[in-house]
Amino acid sequence: MPEILQHISSAVIQGEKDKTHQMAREAIDGGCRAEDVLYKGLMPGMDHVSVEFKAGRMFVPEVMRSARAMLNAMAVIKPLMVEKGIRMTGKLILGTVQGDLHDIGKNLVGMMCEGAGFEIHDLGTDVAPEAFVAAVKEVEPDIVGMSALLTTTMRRMGDTVKALTEAGVRDQVKIIIGGAPVSQTFADKIGVDGYAPDAAAAADKAKELTAATR
Amino acid sequence: MRANYRINSGVRFEVLSRDQLEELFNGVLHVMDKIGLDVHHDEARDILSKAGARVEGNRVRMAPHIVKKALATAPRSFTIYARDGNPAHDIHIGPGRAHFGPGPTPPNFIDVETLERRPYVKNDARIVATVVDALPNIDFCESLGTISDVHTDLAAAYEFATMFPKTSKPIVAWSYGWDDSSDIHKIALAAAGGQEAFEKRPNYVHYCEPLSPLVSTFDAVDKVIFAARHAVPVIFTTCALAGGTAPVTPAGIIIQTTAESFMGLVLSQIIRPGLPFFMGGVLSVMDMSAMILTYGAPELCLMMAGATELAHYCGLPLWQTGGCTDSKCLDEQASLEGSLSVFFSALSAGDLCHDVGYTESGMTGSILQTVMMDDAIGYARRITRGIEVNEDTLAVDVIQDVGPDGHYLYHDHTMRYFKTEYWYPALCDRHNFDEWVADGRKPMRDRVVDRTREILATHEPAPLRPETAEAISAIMEAAEDRVRNKT
Repeated sequence: MPEILQHISSAVIQGEKDKTHQMAREAIDGGCRAEDVLYKGLMPGMDHVSVEFKAGRMFVPEVMRSARAMLNAMAVIKPLMVEKGIRMTGKLILGTVQGDLHDIGKNLVGMMCEGAGFEIHDLGTDVAPEAFVAAVKEVEPDIVGMSALLTTTMRRMGDTVKALTEAGVRDQVKIIIGGAPVSQTFADKIGVDGYAPDAAAAADKAKELTAATR
Repeated sequence: MRANYRINSGVRFEVLSRDQLEELFNGVLHVMDKIGLDVHHDEARDILSKAGARVEGNRVRMAPHIVKKALATAPRSFTIYARDGNPAHDIHIGPGRAHFGPGPTPPNFIDVETLERRPYVKNDARIVATVVDALPNIDFCESLGTISDVHTDLAAAYEFATMFPKTSKPIVAWSYGWDDSSDIHKIALAAAGGQEAFEKRPNYVHYCEPLSPLVSTFDAVDKVIFAARHAVPVIFTTCALAGGTAPVTPAGIIIQTTAESFMGLVLSQIIRPGLPFFMGGVLSVMDMSAMILTYGAPELCLMMAGATELAHYCGLPLWQTGGCTDSKCLDEQASLEGSLSVFFSALSAGDLCHDVGYTESGMTGSILQTVMMDDAIGYARRITRGIEVNEDTLAVDVIQDVGPDGHYLYHDHTMRYFKTEYWYPALCDRHNFDEWVADGRKPMRDRVVDRTREILATHEPAPLRPETAEAISAIMEAAEDRVRNKT
């Protein structure tokens, strides 16, 4: 395997976010295929980071820097893959539901999923059901992720599921939810496809659900 | 019998020097003047603007003199009164006085009978209030949960309505917004005898929680306006995660959370100069592996103590945090973490220390944890009473009396002091080994559970007047009508 791909993996692991864009460019100019840069360079780096994080040897700020390093390289790779019709792991829409401004958890999920190879569309906070519907129609994601911290705003998760159903797009996506008052029981009650208690589990769940539909 | 002093007159404890406090204070003023906060409330921005704040869109900034004006009117000392007039349950806020109580809103509860973790229900509010009323070292009441078996919008109102009859200790209430703030206030007025009587003797405190970093959310602001208009002593504080939603360093998180509180301070003092106001919050680290707000971290103790000192430097009382743990059960970790944060709160004289009974990083409320911490608080209070040095306590004449090779056991001096000088634990066991075995070889956690069950079986809080009980029913019926058609 070309040395450049190994360097790229290392750069991701080290979180060298200011170098990876250039390294990806060099790899492509040197003849590497875009999908090889992703699956033989970037992803092995992130997989290693994931293992280290779960073992408690790497920490959230480091994981985020690694994810950012990967993202900066993806700015070079993704357009090339799109040209060739090759998909990434998946597309994920994220949002904190209407009436709720809490977002640190959602932001962590975004970073973790980005590190797992997802393309992230973060709608921000206070996202109305209609806004989720509009985003699903525009982006055509694999997964919709919703976050809420307040028991009163949790209700909006059910409203969003209804809105997606009424818009005829519910079957096109998998929905996962999270947030302190949310539980598997609640997820089952409102008819979503997954619940995760933290950002790392959310990334795993997103990968699992996307793989199942491919 | 409550033999504990409430005044920290003896033990000197300081985290921050005066110079450091000045720097922190200037940092807060800088944030409010140059960075500002997003205030998601039209009326509030209007009020602030008229008082001289600079408003651009949602962003509100204000010059130091506006903040200082608010600090000048906010009181350092005031009283929150027991609902039944029992002076032993009044809370006197002031220098050197540390108080303790549980916390609000975990989704889960540890069942006192089965010891299982399960969703919190309305009856748990009754349980918590009853036990709080009986514990000698717990001064105020919060529910340790979010009621799941009532209409979602009424969880906070039902919690207050359920706890109010079961304890005469002041409740720190929370609510979702204006409507249920109003329900709660009406209940409090029913006991107080009307708004005018309430203003002379307020019997509850209202807790409002905006968002870090630097976002004054609509509901938090709406509620602080409600409190100011109705003369309800108010808390306006955030739960900040160092490294996540606040700077990673203690000095940084103290500055940011203080600025977040001060937006509510300024607003409340404009509306009602002299309204009792607490700054503070839950300041702790975001664990960078587990990705939680840690309730058991030593940094919590340190940051809260630093925040307490800054509050007192500014002339404000502080909403402290302690007696809590990341442990999932009533074990050694729960005891270690809870006791240390209790101790630091007592040392810094945090005015109202909440979350005594929070476990699993705030996901599960445990009245068992609260009961265990009652001993820890008693222990800490005995230490912070300090060592009294006067001619009598120096006891030189007593030493003379007893002389070499004598004993002090029934000396007048011993008789005079032994009951008040020593703290007698309710839960920590001091029997000899054989007695302990004969009693069932119980570890502390068993004694905690036994004591909790005993309190629930035997304790009778001061009753409500029938008119108050009727008023509460009527208020809750009206609240149900109000939400009837919402899903």
